[in-house]
Amino acid sequence: MSAALQNLVNQPYKHGFVTDIESYVAPKGLNEETIRLISAKKDEPEWLLNFRLEAFQKWLTMTEPHWQNVKYPKIDFQAISYYAAPKPKNKLASMDEVDPELLRTFEKLGVPMHERAALAGVAVDVIFDSVSVATTYKEKLAEVGIIFCSISEAVHNHPELVRQYLGTVVPVGDNFFAALNSAVFTDGSFCYIPKGVKCPMDLSTYFRINTQDSGQFERTLIIAEEGASVSYLEGCTAPQFDTNQLHAAVVELVALDHADIKYSTVQNWYAGDENGVGGIYNFVTKRGLAKGINSRISWTQVETGSAITWKYPSCILRGDNSIGEFYSVAVTNHHQQADTGTKMIHIGKNTRSTIISKGISAGKSNSSYRGLVRIAPTAENARNFSQCDSMLVGDQSGAHTFPYIQVRNNSAKVEHEASTSKIGEDQLFYLAQRGIDAEEAVSMIVNGFCKEVFQQLPMEFAVEATKLLSFKLENSVG
Amino acid sequence: MSETMANDYLDCLLNALPADSRNSGAQDTLDWLRRLRNEAIDQAGRLRFPTVKDEEWRFTDVSPLAKLPYKPAQKTNALRLSDIQPFCIAESAHRLVFVDGFFSPGLSRLSEDDQFVIGNLTAPALTKAPLAEAHLGQHVQFRDNFFAALNTAFLQDGALIVLPENCAVSAPIHLLYIATQEQTTQYPRCLLIGERSSQATVIEDYVALGANTYITNSVAEFSLADNAQVNHIRVQRESGNAFHLASSAVALEQGSQYRSVSITLGALISRFNLDVEFNAQAAECAIDGLAMITGRQLADTHTRIDHAKPHCTSHQQHKCIVDDSSHAVFNGKIIVRPHAQRTNSSQSSRNLLLSGKAQIDTKPQLEIFADDVKCAHGATVGQLDNEEIFYLKSRGLNELTARNLLTYAFGAEILDRIPVPSLKHTLEQAILNQTTQNS
Amino acid sequence: MNINQNPIILNVDNLHASIQDTEILKGINLTVRSGEIHAIMGLNGSGKSTFAKVLAGHPDYHVTQGSIQYEQQDLLELSAEERAQAGVFLAFQYPIEIPGVANSQFLRLAYNTVQAKRGKEELDPLEFDDFVREKMKLLEMKPDFLDRSVNEGFSGGEKKRNEILQMALLEPKLGILDETDSGLDIDALKIVAKGVNHLHNTDNAIILITHYQRLLDHIVPDFVHVMEAGRIIKTGGKELALELETHGYDWIHNDQKRAAGAST
Repeated sequence: MSAALQNLVNQPYKHGFVTDIESYVAPKGLNEETIRLISAKKDEPEWLLNFRLEAFQKWLTMTEPHWQNVKYPKIDFQAISYYAAPKPKNKLASMDEVDPELLRTFEKLGVPMHERAALAGVAVDVIFDSVSVATTYKEKLAEVGIIFCSISEAVHNHPELVRQYLGTVVPVGDNFFAALNSAVFTDGSFCYIPKGVKCPMDLSTYFRINTQDSGQFERTLIIAEEGASVSYLEGCTAPQFDTNQLHAAVVELVALDHADIKYSTVQNWYAGDENGVGGIYNFVTKRGLAKGINSRISWTQVETGSAITWKYPSCILRGDNSIGEFYSVAVTNHHQQADTGTKMIHIGKNTRSTIISKGISAGKSNSSYRGLVRIAPTAENARNFSQCDSMLVGDQSGAHTFPYIQVRNNSAKVEHEASTSKIGEDQLFYLAQRGIDAEEAVSMIVNGFCKEVFQQLPMEFAVEATKLLSFKLENSVG
Repeated sequence: MSETMANDYLDCLLNALPADSRNSGAQDTLDWLRRLRNEAIDQAGRLRFPTVKDEEWRFTDVSPLAKLPYKPAQKTNALRLSDIQPFCIAESAHRLVFVDGFFSPGLSRLSEDDQFVIGNLTAPALTKAPLAEAHLGQHVQFRDNFFAALNTAFLQDGALIVLPENCAVSAPIHLLYIATQEQTTQYPRCLLIGERSSQATVIEDYVALGANTYITNSVAEFSLADNAQVNHIRVQRESGNAFHLASSAVALEQGSQYRSVSITLGALISRFNLDVEFNAQAAECAIDGLAMITGRQLADTHTRIDHAKPHCTSHQQHKCIVDDSSHAVFNGKIIVRPHAQRTNSSQSSRNLLLSGKAQIDTKPQLEIFADDVKCAHGATVGQLDNEEIFYLKSRGLNELTARNLLTYAFGAEILDRIPVPSLKHTLEQAILNQTTQNS
Repeated sequence: MNINQNPIILNVDNLHASIQDTEILKGINLTVRSGEIHAIMGLNGSGKSTFAKVLAGHPDYHVTQGSIQYEQQDLLELSAEERAQAGVFLAFQYPIEIPGVANSQFLRLAYNTVQAKRGKEELDPLEFDDFVREKMKLLEMKPDFLDRSVNEGFSGGEKKRNEILQMALLEPKLGILDETDSGLDIDALKIVAKGVNHLHNTDNAIILITHYQRLLDHIVPDFVHVMEAGRIIKTGGKELALELETHGYDWIHNDQKRAAGAST
């Protein structure tokens, strides 16, 4: 069994794709000039420049946090280039030119046929007319008044909305990386669902094809007006490769009265090789404000990539009766490190939150759940339930649980449970005795362990995520 | 700023010491003890006075203390046996009494024919001095614990219990620490060395005469050799104006068993650190705690169970009953080191909030580095269960009685684990009084 | 005792096995032919369950001496899943729980894996559903059982029935039932026994491991073996089980002493 564990642990990373991006690259380093340059290149209004400059001033006074349970070499923020204008990719002429290994990966993950080409970097018009696909989506959304575009576009076309909400959930000086993002963000998504509109489709497929290169400082803003609802999916099960090591994104969600935002993430950035060389640092600030009464914010994440993942998608439950949810699966292997969890800040009356976190650590990796449940004095009858389970594969990995529970109102009820277990040898033997080999058995047990989270994902992604997990742990037990 | 604060604080304290007690040394000070104290003084000087910016002190603001460098208490002989009578425990045959930290032979009761050693740690005639030297200050982490360093720096008297091999002491050993002086600091100390297969029950009991304001800074160290078994009952019933800062460190060898019940009722601000270290296989510990506080009290319990070796078992239950504007803090860390396979560990933090202004901060933590382990923890915060209240009311109890009964029952679960009936009864009464008082 | 000249399915010769350097099996000899039912009885700790686990290839046990021939192959050369695929089935004394994995999913995966290895047709989810529901009727199981997680929250009886259902699906050549009767009430015992009898035929063989005669009232063995301290110390026909029930295990020792006394 332990020999088999070794095998799983030593499984090579199935490569993503690398594209050479020819681009205009700003000189390295960060100063006011760089920020003015970014803003000018993007032809931004003055208020946004001021927003960036304010963030930059705050950032200068802040120090990089080190309380998280991850280790990495010091980042030289002056050695990063903060602006690169993407030029068209060096497109491949047909699917025949795509790395067959990558095609096999797509097949294993069950990525829909029509997306494989786009993801692989094949000039899409060879395969199908992506412009018309995108246009179709856009037309359909526009019919009901939904705005869905890049945040740069939104700054020009809907400045009043961006200005009203940008930085209201994650203030410019919220934390070191959020301040950095606020100063230098290049692009990202903007989504506005008007009053009473239920978004007619998951904003996922479209997104998957179109936002591959939003850059290392991505900024997302989603607003659901009164009674609106939207399900948004970020990321992709296919492995993603990027030459930028540091990724510091900010995502802000605002839900007004009776609004409902469901935000799902599948993160599979390059994790580094089996020796821990390379890989993305994914330092993300994600926060949702359940501002209105009866509003709901729901985060679902499947984190399998990145050398270091450090993120706490959070909910501020300000509206009475508002609901916050966090469903997470984090898988680490080799030398990966993940410190992830959530914050549920209960402010309104009768607010409810649910946290389900599943961590799986294999190889020499470490996975931490870090969560905060705070019940403010105003949060009459608040309820929280948290369950954090960890599974260890092999005896060199680590699993950690750091729940903070702060209760300031005695009508609250907070429950937290956590457990750590391994894949039982008894379970493996039982399945082997029924003719099922170890790899299949591990995949089955792990997916069973994560079931409560996968159930939250949109259907087609649940299927892919299941496969992704098996794929990540392939050969890790035998 | 906090560094200067700590240094100022320390200087103030040191200046209060009699001139001869640091270096030249009183005649009766043992050499090894003087060395240890001096090392601790240096350590205390190097450490910072903790502030709420330190993760370990996030919820417990001890900065008021920094402004109160209460000088060490002075030795008095004012107490008579009748003064301590209310605190005596019927079952206990052996009693060590410390008044303001100083050993009081006259109030203590030591049986003559004992095969085990019990007495004042720093007595010059101590027969077990080499053993005491080998263990004192070796288990508590005074190198990174400011208050434990201070305790060691100002160490005067302390309880020493040495249980020889195969010695089973059936009657509980009562360590009674009485505070009597206003605006002083007492530095109680305890060292228990349980040799192979020894057994004992120790009651560490902090009480006060009157409602003085003072600081208790105490340290207890327990070292259990192979198959030793110790029950440790810790009762903190200090004056309501006192500050209580305490550390217990427990080192467990193969097959040893440590069971503790810690009851926190007194002090305005209290902080109790309990560290259990598994140094060998197949050892077990069961750690239970109950804090019942009211008014503006703050009770902070930090525990750390370190599974450094395989096949060990730990179980912990900590409960807080928090009323009025009081504030309870619990931080329980369980570490399972690499290769500590077959660890079985469970931890539960349960908290009852009785008032709208009461506060709870709880943080049970697991840090697991071995795969073949069974670890679980849980935490709940809430008020009394309405269904249970309804059930009792439907049986004819009025609302208040029902609430009191349920609150009492919540705490009694921990008291039930105290193996000394009279003490259990006394504490049950105390909790019952507190529940009914508040209604 | 039947005289059976059917082909030999299992031949165990002088089997010794250990767990963590403690020897549990100390020289077991056993021959099982197709069509036979063997009962192995003995007190707790006599090595019965260890023997079952060694036959199934549990990784914690090491065979230190002796051999196991199964259908002209060296069984010890095969991994646990290869043994299962080759038709060795162990009904566990304590079936394992696998949270989150639906029973239907597990059963279909096991069935299709074994079918594929045997060069037989695999079933898609719909076909399999019909197939498994048919088998479930035999064991009087409720349909909702397919949607529940494998053995999680099952009663003792449900777990044991689930084991026999798996046996029905996988159609083993050699079925080993490890204390399948423990924890069953009399009605459940009858249902399980009916299932086993239904599955038994002239081409396969069954080894029943049990403490008590009770199960043997419903599944009648051709041979009864008594184990003690890692060896088979007595073999007889079905009447041996009855004598054990009446006289207890000590009776064997006395009986042996009497025999020894008589021979001197």
